[in-house]
Amino acid sequence: MRPLPFAVLMLAGLPAALPAQVDYFARAGVTWSRDLVTDRIINDISVGPGLAPTLALGAALPIAPRYHAAVEASLTTATLSASETGTPDADLGSLRTGAVMLGLDGPIVGRLRWRAGAGLITYWPADDSGIFARGGTTRFLAGAGADYRYPVARRWDLMASGRWDFHRFTTEELESRGFGSSQGIQRVGVTVGLARGLK
Amino acid sequence: MSDTRRRCAYAALSVTLVAAIAVACSDMSSPERADVYEWRLITTSAVGSPGLDTLAFHWPRASLPVRIWVEDTLGLPDHLRAGIARWKRVFLYREFDAEVVSDSSAADVIVRGAAAPTGVIGPGTVPGPTAARHRIRLHSMLAPECQGATDLDISPDNTELVLPIRTYLEPRFATTDPGLPACLALTATHELGHAMGLFQHSPHPDDLMYADPGIEGPSDRDRETAERAYHLPPNLSPVTRR
Repeated sequence: MRPLPFAVLMLAGLPAALPAQVDYFARAGVTWSRDLVTDRIINDISVGPGLAPTLALGAALPIAPRYHAAVEASLTTATLSASETGTPDADLGSLRTGAVMLGLDGPIVGRLRWRAGAGLITYWPADDSGIFARGGTTRFLAGAGADYRYPVARRWDLMASGRWDFHRFTTEELESRGFGSSQGIQRVGVTVGLARGLK
Repeated sequence: MSDTRRRCAYAALSVTLVAAIAVACSDMSSPERADVYEWRLITTSAVGSPGLDTLAFHWPRASLPVRIWVEDTLGLPDHLRAGIARWKRVFLYREFDAEVVSDSSAADVIVRGAAAPTGVIGPGTVPGPTAARHRIRLHSMLAPECQGATDLDISPDNTELVLPIRTYLEPRFATTDPGLPACLALTATHELGHAMGLFQHSPHPDDLMYADPGIEGPSDRDRETAERAYHLPPNLSPVTRR
């Protein structure tokens, strides 16, 4: 199944919730990602983003007394660089990603909750060159994490989250040049923000 | 949930997690890039040494973008810009970049729409402002409509490429020849390949770096050769002696 039709189906499957039932949250932080490309031209070469400032937005809807269905979108922007043995890193420009995940969350202990889900991640390069010469790419994504919420006002919580997700990365340009398979990418993110919802 | 079921559920979850991590960690495989031709300059050894020397050159990242001055005739500036775009497209990691500049005194490469001058070619002394060097000319003169040449000035010890590199592009006959723009376009891109560091011609007629190229842009073999050229440590450094 192609990623974009899959996204439409996922969004269509969301229940139409009353606004009062929905829990909203917004967080900011950083995301680390494994190298997107490993190559060898005489020397080993790796291409990866640095630590990426991250913005996460989402909403959750109760589906059982202690469980929620949730949708979470995250945006990152980072500088892509190429590293090669014996040479200085090369700046390959900026790279943005946008990810949307649908999932579930439930209790672990106290104010700590788990979250797991699946969705899509899209890569938006600043310009169509190099590994993105034929444009960005959209990939399936799966991940999990934990949220800690601490009440700070009547309907507001301070929210700290950790996320881990993975997907397979390649681009049309890499495929056209004979790169086999795709690269397993793990990302780890830490964010802090506010959540507002029903108590 | 019974203990047995709980243990089974934890075991299944653990196996799933381990499988997911294994899938997430595996790497893509890179292409071989084995289909290349010899691009390095094979010339007489440095003064005092017998035999031949193999000289490898590519523009260091610190020198990018390479500054190219182009004589404004025969549509050469547009041909050079198109050639720069074609060669940039070859690389995955921004190994090469160039720009057309207006001041020839600051150029790394000078392109003229004229015949290459006659003079000392090959080992010998070329009069220069500060130092002697020998000049090597790379010809491209088999096309019916136009011809090109690129001159490289190499220091006597074969360690320095003295800038600027000089490239010449000229029509063979009338400038009204309908095939001339296409010939100049591909010859400009071919000569730019020499100025990038591909100092030899490909033996394959379907490559842009063939002595009489028939294609406008770099072939897969040209691309793989250029990629290797830009990752092999060079033994020739660009120097300016103005």
